[in-house]
Formats: sequence, C-alpha cells, structure tokens
Amino acid sequence: MKRFSKGELAQYNGKNGAAAYIAYEGKVYDVSGSFLWKNGRHQVLHNAGRDLTETIKQAPHGADMLERVPMVGMLDES
Amino acid sequence: MAKVTREVVERAGVNVDQLVELLVANAAGELTTYYYYTILRVNLIGLKGEGIKEIAETARIEDRNHFEALVPRIYELGGKLPEDMKVFHDMSACPPASLPKGPTDINAILTVLVEAERCAVRGYTNICNLTGGKDHRTYDLSLAILNEEIEHESWFSEFLGEGPSGHFMRRGETSPFVSKFLR
Repeated sequence: MKRFSKGELAQYNGKNGAAAYIAYEGKVYDVSGSFLWKNGRHQVLHNAGRDLTETIKQAPHGADMLERVPMVGMLDES
Repeated sequence: MAKVTREVVERAGVNVDQLVELLVANAAGELTTYYYYTILRVNLIGLKGEGIKEIAETARIEDRNHFEALVPRIYELGGKLPEDMKVFHDMSACPPASLPKGPTDINAILTVLVEAERCAVRGYTNICNLTGGKDHRTYDLSLAILNEEIEHESWFSEFLGEGPSGHFMRRGETSPFVSKFLR
C-alpha cells in the first residue's frame, strides 16, 4: 500500500489533469471518478489534496460515503 | 442584485460568493433532476411501474419548482446562471439521475430516485447549516425545499420497502412548503 506525505497528497488536487485524492483517518481515497468531486472540488467548499478527517465531522453525511471510492494508500502523520 | 440584502448576509459572516455558487449548483441539480426524472417517469410502466409513476411525477414537478424558487435568490445575492446549459448541467450538486441499464427493472429506477433525493437532502441540510441564524431568507427557502426533499426520499424509500410508511401521496397542490416562494 502506497504511503503519502501531506505534501504528496496536496499534489493530487484534481486540478490540471491531476488525480483527486483525499485523506480520512489515515487512509487516502481516490475521488477522481466521483461526479461530486469534479475538478477536485466538492460542494464548493471542499478541495482535494487534503486531509478531511476533521471537515467530514461537519458534513451532512458520514464517512460511509468513502466506501463508494477506492482506497489508494495511507497518509503519513508527519 | 439586492445590495443591502447581500451586505447584511456578508456582515453576518457568510461567504456570499460561496453561498451563491452552492445555490447555483443546487439549482442545476434541480433542473437536471427534472429532466432525468422525465426519462425515468416514462419508463415506469407495467403493473409495478404504473403504481409509482404518479408519485415520481409529483417529485419531478416539485424539483422543477425548487429550481424556480432558487433562481430569484441567486440573483438577489448578486449571482447569475451560466449562459451555457452544458456548463450548468456539469456543475450540478448531485450526479445525473440516469436511467439504469435495465430500464424495466423498477427497483433499479427506484434506487436511482432515492439516491437523487438523498443527495438533495444532504445538500439542503448543508445550506441550512451554513445560513441558519445568518441569512434568514436563504435559510427559509432551503428549509422549505429540504422539507419536500425529505418527503420525496421517504416516498421512494418506502416503495423500496426500507421501512414502514408514514406518508401518502400529495392531496391537492404540489410543493406545499415551497409554494410561498413561487407566488
């Protein structure tokens, strides 16, 4: 399983042809194929390439939504 | 644009540009859903499908009403709709409610319908959370739409047999919550 630093994760922001990855509780998910993450943006307010562990607590949905997208790696804590 | 309207919302701490973008995305979701529901409705045939057709039609008309109700608020806040319909479609807050591969599979159509409504419930809950106590008019409008989306979700969920039914189809006019914004 590939490991990502926060700097590497930030490169997967869904812009300019880059894939869109997000992190949640140490796992990295590929949301590139999701209609709801077009161009690396989700519901105007959220951007790919970031750890959304805290953000998702405010979302009107649970982390179970991440079961719909592939997990592609783990996020290093540093 | 309503200048003071926008100012007071900004002063309440709302990022109005982001809010407008969210409203446009949800307006796109409503209009595209109206379109896709038209296709779903005409494919609701046979003994099982015909029983669902009328309630799917109510949801279709109410989603169009939601679009109509959102548009004035977008312009009051200084926003606008994209000139290009294709751009508008692709910025929808919810995925296309496309006809399933097996169009005679009524349960598959119901699943598309309920997923579309669930996306809308999440979207308007989000807008209510962002505007509650800050932008009273957008909150009131979003809450009205949310009430109808929750009923739509319940209808289709109950048709799928996900739980006992506390609902029945509309009696009389459509959009009992949103109609005050359509006058």
